[in-house]
Amino acid sequence: MASAGPEKDKSKTHKLSLKGSAKLVAEFFQYSIHTILFQRGVYPAEDFTAVKKYGLNMLVSSDDQVRAYIKKIMSQLDKWMLAGKVQKLVIVITDKDTGEHVERWQFDVQILSKPKSSKSSSKSRSAATASAKDQENESSSKSSDAAKTEAEIQAEIAALFRQITASVTFLPQLQGDCTFNVLVYADASSEVPVEWGDSDAKEIVGGERVQLRGFSTQSHRVETLVSYRLVE
Amino acid sequence: MATASVSTPIKSHTGLFSSRTAGGRMPLTPSPSQRTTPVKISSSPFTPEKSDGVHRAASRSVYGGNLTAHLRASRANNHRDSPKSNIARVVSTPRKVLELGVSNFTLTGTGAHSKAASSSSSSSSSSSSSSTSASSPNGNTKKKTTAVKKKPAKTTIAYKGDRFIPNRSASTAYSDGSVKLGMREGRSSRSRTGSTDGSSVLASATDDAISALESLSIGDRRRDDSDNHDSHDDDDEASSYSRPSPRSAAYRETLANACGVNLNTRILQFKPAPPESSKPVDLRQQYNRPLKPAGAANSAQFRRRIATAPERVLDAPGLIDDYYLNLLDWSSGNQVAIGLERSVYVWSADEGSVNCLLETSPDTYVSSVKWSGDGAYVGVGLGTGEVQIWDVAEGVKVRSMFGHDSRVGVMGWNKHILSTGARSGLVFNHDVRIAEHKVAELVSHTSEVCGLEWRSDGAQLATGGNDNLVSIWDARSLAVPKFTKTNHKAAVKALAWCPWNLNLLATGGGSYDRHIHFWNASTGARVNSIDTGSQVTSLRWSTHYREIVSTSGFPDNSLSIWSYPTLVRNVEIPAHESRVLHSCLSPDGQMLATAAADESLKFWKVFEKKPGHSQALSSASSSIKASSGQQMTIR
Repeated sequence: MASAGPEKDKSKTHKLSLKGSAKLVAEFFQYSIHTILFQRGVYPAEDFTAVKKYGLNMLVSSDDQVRAYIKKIMSQLDKWMLAGKVQKLVIVITDKDTGEHVERWQFDVQILSKPKSSKSSSKSRSAATASAKDQENESSSKSSDAAKTEAEIQAEIAALFRQITASVTFLPQLQGDCTFNVLVYADASSEVPVEWGDSDAKEIVGGERVQLRGFSTQSHRVETLVSYRLVE
Repeated sequence: MATASVSTPIKSHTGLFSSRTAGGRMPLTPSPSQRTTPVKISSSPFTPEKSDGVHRAASRSVYGGNLTAHLRASRANNHRDSPKSNIARVVSTPRKVLELGVSNFTLTGTGAHSKAASSSSSSSSSSSSSSTSASSPNGNTKKKTTAVKKKPAKTTIAYKGDRFIPNRSASTAYSDGSVKLGMREGRSSRSRTGSTDGSSVLASATDDAISALESLSIGDRRRDDSDNHDSHDDDDEASSYSRPSPRSAAYRETLANACGVNLNTRILQFKPAPPESSKPVDLRQQYNRPLKPAGAANSAQFRRRIATAPERVLDAPGLIDDYYLNLLDWSSGNQVAIGLERSVYVWSADEGSVNCLLETSPDTYVSSVKWSGDGAYVGVGLGTGEVQIWDVAEGVKVRSMFGHDSRVGVMGWNKHILSTGARSGLVFNHDVRIAEHKVAELVSHTSEVCGLEWRSDGAQLATGGNDNLVSIWDARSLAVPKFTKTNHKAAVKALAWCPWNLNLLATGGGSYDRHIHFWNASTGARVNSIDTGSQVTSLRWSTHYREIVSTSGFPDNSLSIWSYPTLVRNVEIPAHESRVLHSCLSPDGQMLATAAADESLKFWKVFEKKPGHSQALSSASSSIKASSGQQMTIR
């Protein structure tokens, strides 16, 4: 139970363990998939319902099939995130008729090297005694300069989603029916379930690229890049 | 290990073959794939021995220095040694080989297969090293390992052969180890001759090689026999391989680096296809959504509210309960005329006053009333077949027109033409301005005409009768109807021309029919149908909603408002206690008056205009003479 104390302290200071950070990033991916599907009209707007998240009204598909599909992706992505295997997550929007990739949303994941995080790992804490508590507190207070509070992280994510939403103003109108694919750049050593297979990068040939905002937790940094086909 | 820098993937294949047979000619040319092998290079002819007997090789390798001699001796002996023995040995060693090969594998990036290849390459290199008799004692040990590796490689090699080399080559590949097999073979033979080992050795080697080649298909073991040859071959191969082949790991690596591709990363795609979109999405719709829904009546989501209570109820005592009569009409001057038995009353909606316009002689009754287009005159049909025209303002009869020998149940004005339909089935057109008023006789119906409606532009006339027929007439040729529709299964009283689509005619049938049919009056095609479930007694199009209202008899005695063309029933209002006989719209199109057999006259605000609502629709309808903007009132 000694660990409980530190845990609370930690939560007070809004520090995120590596595990928590991975979960947070995975959750971000889930909402970003829904958001992009909505904003880019891959599925009709009526299929989406608003959910409060990140202080925003996030639109999440209420279509059972779409939900199940994303859930399957997320279940595997969660595992890879926890294992630190994910380098990029890419959502590719493809024209159904021509098979051409028209838009590509790329989220680069960078795992930050964090000596502090190792300290803050739950194991060390659990082993820690009361004196360790103080250390925890100290370390957290020290790290508070560099480390963000959870509220700050949420704000960063909210800003990123606002930017994704706003990006429809410069992205070209998608013509015709579109579908999407999810790619994950994973370490070669990753375990790969049967539902996942090797793929090309599905890059957009001669596409325009726009770097969007990113956000960072204590353990991860996520950068966003959207590339799209230039319309003549 | 210095040789490691050199990269030639092909060798690996050859190495497989040669390594076993040759016993390591390492010196020839180090290939990148062989990097692991450079150690092997040191290994001497012993390698073939290894192939012969793994155990021997191992022991000898340990000894190292003696190897070359042993190897040579062993070579002759070894050549014929059966691969089987080697194989067994090989089995023991393969793990080491694999380890060595691993690095190569990663380089090639092919994965497990690549490992095999690398091992093979290593083996080949080892063989080459062995071939070089100069190999150090250490080399021998290495050779052994390599040989061991080779052996496993051989087993694995089979895979490689499949990958890199088609069919036959695969077998040969074992010997040579690489794609270049054919070349190697030739070269190997040559090289053998040229090799320092000596012609006799070479000859034996060549023989062995040949046998090996032949045996290649048979299995790896023979390779062992041909170790010497292989070593020669390896040398040749090495020389030939000095240029990097595209398959080499190093080549790939450099290529990958040049392209910025990280070989340690896999791009994984979630393979199942995403679910289909339920419908095509037009983003423009999504982002340019009007603040207010444009067509309020169009979507059920924004269905307008319709008042279901009457605005006003008047008594209509003595209203004859006869489906075939038409006793109610609303003028463009906002006056309502109703025929009650022998009298016609005019109720002014503006003033709320009621005047009795006329009373017929006791031997007859009023069978129809109809306002002229300007609202100044009302036509009155009588049971005798007489048609009278009354000036409402003056309250005097303008003229009487005779011709029908049976009651006139329905009338319709088209400017100065009054069309009258009679129980005989005949329809007459009267020019009310001239003495010889009867200008046309429309013969189509064989039973009482109870429905008659001019199109708003006067170009077409629709009539319906008790013979279940709908006839559509062209005003320019009234000899025969343009179309005669027989779809209804009961008398057709309800007829209405669409105000926004002049070609669209709605017709409703009686008790046994209960259908509303929609017709294209240009082509005669039926475009839509509704089964209302009850007798249709009248139909009126809204002038500013895309809707049509029907009145019905048994069992509901109701008003129904339908969206067109979706044919969705927006509302059903239980209107009267007995069947609704007649209906008419106010000149501004907002109010519906209904007269029923319960002797009441009710006013319904079913098409109430929203303030600011577009009036384009109503203005499009020329049948409404009153300006649509003018607010009509009822007192």
